[in-house]
This record gives sequence, C-alpha cells and structure tokens, in this order.
Amino acid sequence: MPGRDQIRQKFRQRFEDANRSIRKIKPQDLRSAMSGRNAAFALGAAVVVILIWVLNTGGNDPDASARRQMGASSPAAIMEEMSKTAMPAEQADPAAPAKKAEPADAQHSALEASVEKTEQEKAERRRAALADRTVQNPNFDESVEVDISTRSVAITSGFSGQRIVVFGAVHNSLQASPQQGLYDVVVVLEGAKSKLISRRKSNVAGLWINTQSVEFESVPSYYTISSTRPIVEISTPRVFDEYGIGFQHIRIEPRAADAAKLGPAELQSFRESIIRLKAGEGLYQRRPTGVEFIGRSLFRTSIDLPANVPIGTVVARTYLFRDAELIAENTAAVELQRQGLEALMHSFAFDYPLLYGMLAVAIAVGAGLAASAVFSRGAH
Amino acid sequence: MNLYLPIAEMPVNVLIFLGMGGAVGFLSGMFGVGGGFLMTPLLIFSGIPPAVAIGTEAAQIVASSVSGAIAQYQRRNVDIKMGIVLLTGGIIGSILGVQIVKELRQLGQFELFVSLAYVIFLGIIGSLMMIESLNTMRKARSGAVVSARRPGQHSWIHGLPLKMRFHRSKLYISAIPVIVLGAIVGFLGAIMGVGGGFIIVPAMIYLLRVPTNVVVGTSLFQILFVTSATTILHSVQNHTVDIVLAMILMIGGVIGAQFGAVAGEKLKGEQLRFLLAGLVLLVCLRVAWNLVVMPSELYSLSSIVGGH
Repeated sequence: MPGRDQIRQKFRQRFEDANRSIRKIKPQDLRSAMSGRNAAFALGAAVVVILIWVLNTGGNDPDASARRQMGASSPAAIMEEMSKTAMPAEQADPAAPAKKAEPADAQHSALEASVEKTEQEKAERRRAALADRTVQNPNFDESVEVDISTRSVAITSGFSGQRIVVFGAVHNSLQASPQQGLYDVVVVLEGAKSKLISRRKSNVAGLWINTQSVEFESVPSYYTISSTRPIVEISTPRVFDEYGIGFQHIRIEPRAADAAKLGPAELQSFRESIIRLKAGEGLYQRRPTGVEFIGRSLFRTSIDLPANVPIGTVVARTYLFRDAELIAENTAAVELQRQGLEALMHSFAFDYPLLYGMLAVAIAVGAGLAASAVFSRGAH
Repeated sequence: MNLYLPIAEMPVNVLIFLGMGGAVGFLSGMFGVGGGFLMTPLLIFSGIPPAVAIGTEAAQIVASSVSGAIAQYQRRNVDIKMGIVLLTGGIIGSILGVQIVKELRQLGQFELFVSLAYVIFLGIIGSLMMIESLNTMRKARSGAVVSARRPGQHSWIHGLPLKMRFHRSKLYISAIPVIVLGAIVGFLGAIMGVGGGFIIVPAMIYLLRVPTNVVVGTSLFQILFVTSATTILHSVQNHTVDIVLAMILMIGGVIGAQFGAVAGEKLKGEQLRFLLAGLVLLVCLRVAWNLVVMPSELYSLSSIVGGH
C-alpha cells in the first residue's frame, strides 16, 4: 500500500530530524539556555524547594512507603504465592537447601558466591536448630503443623517489602467446618532480638535534650501478631505473658541497673515507647483477624514484611487454642538475607572498610572529573 | 523508583534524592560553596540516619570539589605550601572528629551536638555575611569604592612564632594559626558533614589576609583532601558511608552545580553573599527550631554500638 509507505517515510524523516537536532545541542547551548528568565526560574524553584523543607517542620515520614504496602491482601495473590512453594505434607526436611528466591546472576563473582554460600550455610544451621519444635498439650489429641510460603527472602537493591504466607493445619481436627470457630490460631512473627536503648528528651535550659535512658535486653527487631480473633477474646493474659503473645506481653526486660533507678510507671512508659516507635516504623504490626481457616483443619495468614524489615531470621511461632486453653504450638522460620549487589556491598563495607572508603573516594573523584570534562568542553 | 540502600538499610526514592542533589548542587554552584551544610540536614530530615548522612556527604563533597580544585590549580590559584599546612591540621581535626562522632553516638548526644554545631556556626557566619553584604550594597549604592582586602593591617595573629613564607599568597606568617584553622575545619567537617568552605574562606580572607583569588583555590585543595580522608575514616571507624546514596547525590549535585555556576555569573558578588547569608540563616533557624520546640515524640530508640 503506497499510503503506509508514505507514512513510514515521513516518520523516518521526522526521527532523523529529531536525532540531528539532539546531536547539535552542545554544552554551551545548555549554558546559554540558563540565561535571564531561565536562571531566575531555576533559582526560584530551588528557593521554593528549600522553603518547603524549612516550613515542613513536622512532616518527617520516612516509612510512608512501607505503610503504603500494608494494603488489603487479595486472596488470588496469596494462593498464587502459596502455589509457588509446594506445600509439604510433613515438616520440611531441615537438610534441604534453602530455596533461592532469585535466578542466579549471569555474572556471578567469586566473592559474591562465597558470601551467599556462607550465608546459606548459616541459614541452614539456624533452620535445623529451629525445626521440629512441635509442642503438644498431653490432654488434647490435636496438634498443629505450620510452614511459610518461602524459606528465604532476598534483600536486593530493588527490595521494597514482601508478602509471605504462613499456613498450617490442625491435626485431628474436630471442627466440622471453617465457620464453626472451635479453634483459635495465633501466629507471632518475630525478628532477631537485640539490645536497644530508649532515650527520653526533657527540656534543659530551653533545649530538648536526651536526659533519661533505659537499656532493654532483648527487643525483637520485628514483631507481627496475626490471629483469628482479637487476642483478648482468645485466652487469658497469664498465657500471653508466658509465651510473649501480643504487644502488651512481649518479653522486653530492662537492664537490672536501669530498672533499679526508675519507678514501675516510668519503666512502663519506656517499654511503651519501644512498642509505639517500632509500630510507627511499621516494624510492629497487629492483625487481629488476620488468620483465616480455609477448611476443617487448614488455616493461613498473609503478612507483609515491610521494606525496612531488619535482616536476619524471622521466626513464625504458631499457637493453637481451644476454649481459651493452649493445646499445641509449632514453629517455622524464614531467612531474610542480602543477595546480589546488596550482599556484596554490605560485606565489602564491613569486611574491607579501608578499601571501601578508598573506593568511595575514587568514585567521587571520577564523578567530579567526568562532570567537569562533560560540561567544560567548549565552554570558556 | 525505589532503591534499597546497603548501608542505611532502607529503601529510598531515587528521583527525590536526585532532585535533592540537583537543587543543592544548583545552589552550591551558584554561591561557590560545597553545599554540605544544606545537604546533611536535608538527608537527616528525610530519614537517613544522621551518622550515615554525615559519612556519605563527605564522599559527595569530594565529588563536588574535585573539578573546582583542578580548575583552580590550572589557573595557578592554589598555594600548595599553605594547602599542605592546612591539610596537616585538617587531618588531625578529622581524626579527632570521627572519634568524637563514635563516642557521642554511644552517649546518645550525637544529634544534639551536631544540631548545636550547626546553630552556632551557621548563625555566626550567616549573620556576619548578612551584615557585610548589606553594608557593601549600601556603600555601592552611595557610590563609595569598596575593597574587601585592607593590606598593611596587622593583628595578634602576625605576632606568633614559627613563621613561614607562603610565596603564592605573598605572606610571611606563623604556621600555628594555619594549622589550627585547618584542624577546626577538619573537625567540623567530620562531625557536621560539611566541607567547611563557609568557615575557611572568610577565615583565610579576614584572619590570615590571604589574597582572595588564592583563597578559593587553596581552600578547595584543602577541602578535597580533608573530605577524602574523612570519607575513608568514616568508612573504617563507623561504617557509615553509603556508596549508593553518595552516587545518587553526586549525579544530581554535579549537574545542578553546572547550571548554578552559570546562574551565579548573572548576580553581583554582594547580592550572592546576601542570598547565601539568608540561606545559611534559614538552615540555622530550622535546626534551632527542632532544638527549642517541644518534639511530638519525646522518646527515641538506638542500638548499643555503631549504626546497627
């Protein structure tokens, strides 16, 4: 058809014209473009940016993106994720190698490979230690089995949080249908525990300064609780205290020296500060109706790991309740590990800090030289 | 477009940080300053841990000062001898500063210290510059001849021992104030995450009476090497240099600076100084505001050692 040929010809002509005019732009054109009104406009824009920042006194919200991902979960997505991992009939063999979440990079450097290998070995050891921690109340026949949709989550440079599904089954279930609600399931996801200091500011001579501080011995870096009903309806505080179930019952102990200095009310406010701040960062979450029974014995809950989730092992402790009594408990774990460039750079920074610092300087010098070479060509 | 930072351990929006680098780069190119005093607080307010912001900013200042330093060197505006003396002091100050960052982080008073340093130094420099530029503008309007350098005036600084001859600066002065100045700038660079140009340039002009054309080249030379050393020291001592974040900021910064430099040529010296003084005072007030106004959250969390 002659019409189409003509159009094609026209397009090619346009494309070449555009290409030629782009090539014609030289650095000095960019400079001359910055004259008069343009310069004033750019200056104005820069001032506006600064003003917005100066006036924006309270809007410090680094984890908005993390919260945005906490949207409602669609069942289709969960089933899709669950189908990715074959559901094991029994507790998974602890010796099985951790599944790699990413296809191997074509350019796999030796260092990167060795980092991943040691990381995986560590993960294996941790998983083996955690496996088969089935706890059973002898007065009941029921037991609970549990697993997580993925064994390892790769923290790469594109990481922006990930949804995982914790699923399990009640063995010897007496429940006739999922609606009967005979059983209650509570899933507690917990990250590695570490020491943490909470500091409180007070006004000293007009300035807000950190004055009091309390050191806590083992604070979970990440804590999410998901249950079939709000936990106050499930059982008694005594049980929750014993197992660390629920925000009010997480075992966070102040250091003895600090505990002696302060009264119980003050200690409580420091303890609450940890939970409040962690919840504010999206690291402590509550999903009071997050666990759902799908069949007589099968249940699942989907949990969104936020983008700022601390790296390490996340343990999913699952508790089965019947008539306010804890009848069985089981544990599964998911390993969050750096992978690819992310792992490489982090281990580089910590294992070879001197070389890393020199590399940072070299990159900076290179960037500065490149910029001056590009922009000074033709100018002056 | 999000990217997970390996050292800060958080995802950031690349476009926002590119834009931030560009905006600060534009201003720094226009005023001929490093822009660290703008960038570091911006990074902290956008959620980057303060220690990482400071370590990373040191690397970015290297990038933004390297091309200027080379250009000045080619124009023979660098007094190498004075630069080396400044640098000696600078590295001592930097080592001290990085060590103090470590101590203060353990005590939980790091942010307070940084904020106070910002309020004090930006407040003083900003006010002085504002007064000076206003005076100059008023005199220029009334038609008087303005000269920044008043040669022949001697102060107590010229009475100190250990005198050295600095040929390019046409000076014969004691090495002590030069080393001390270098050390102060190196120290502040390490704790405030700034290059220190806004301190070293007026100090060299008004205290040491170095000729203005040599001041810019020599201070850039000193800043380049001191911030390089600071970057390496922060990497080794505190593990707080995030290369990925630094690269994002560099790309925005070097491009913004080129446009800023062109825009700066359109303004008079005293007008530039007036605007810069206003900017410095705004940042000073912003930091002071956070210290004085009751925070909405009185509590803050930190881990025991280092940034992890």
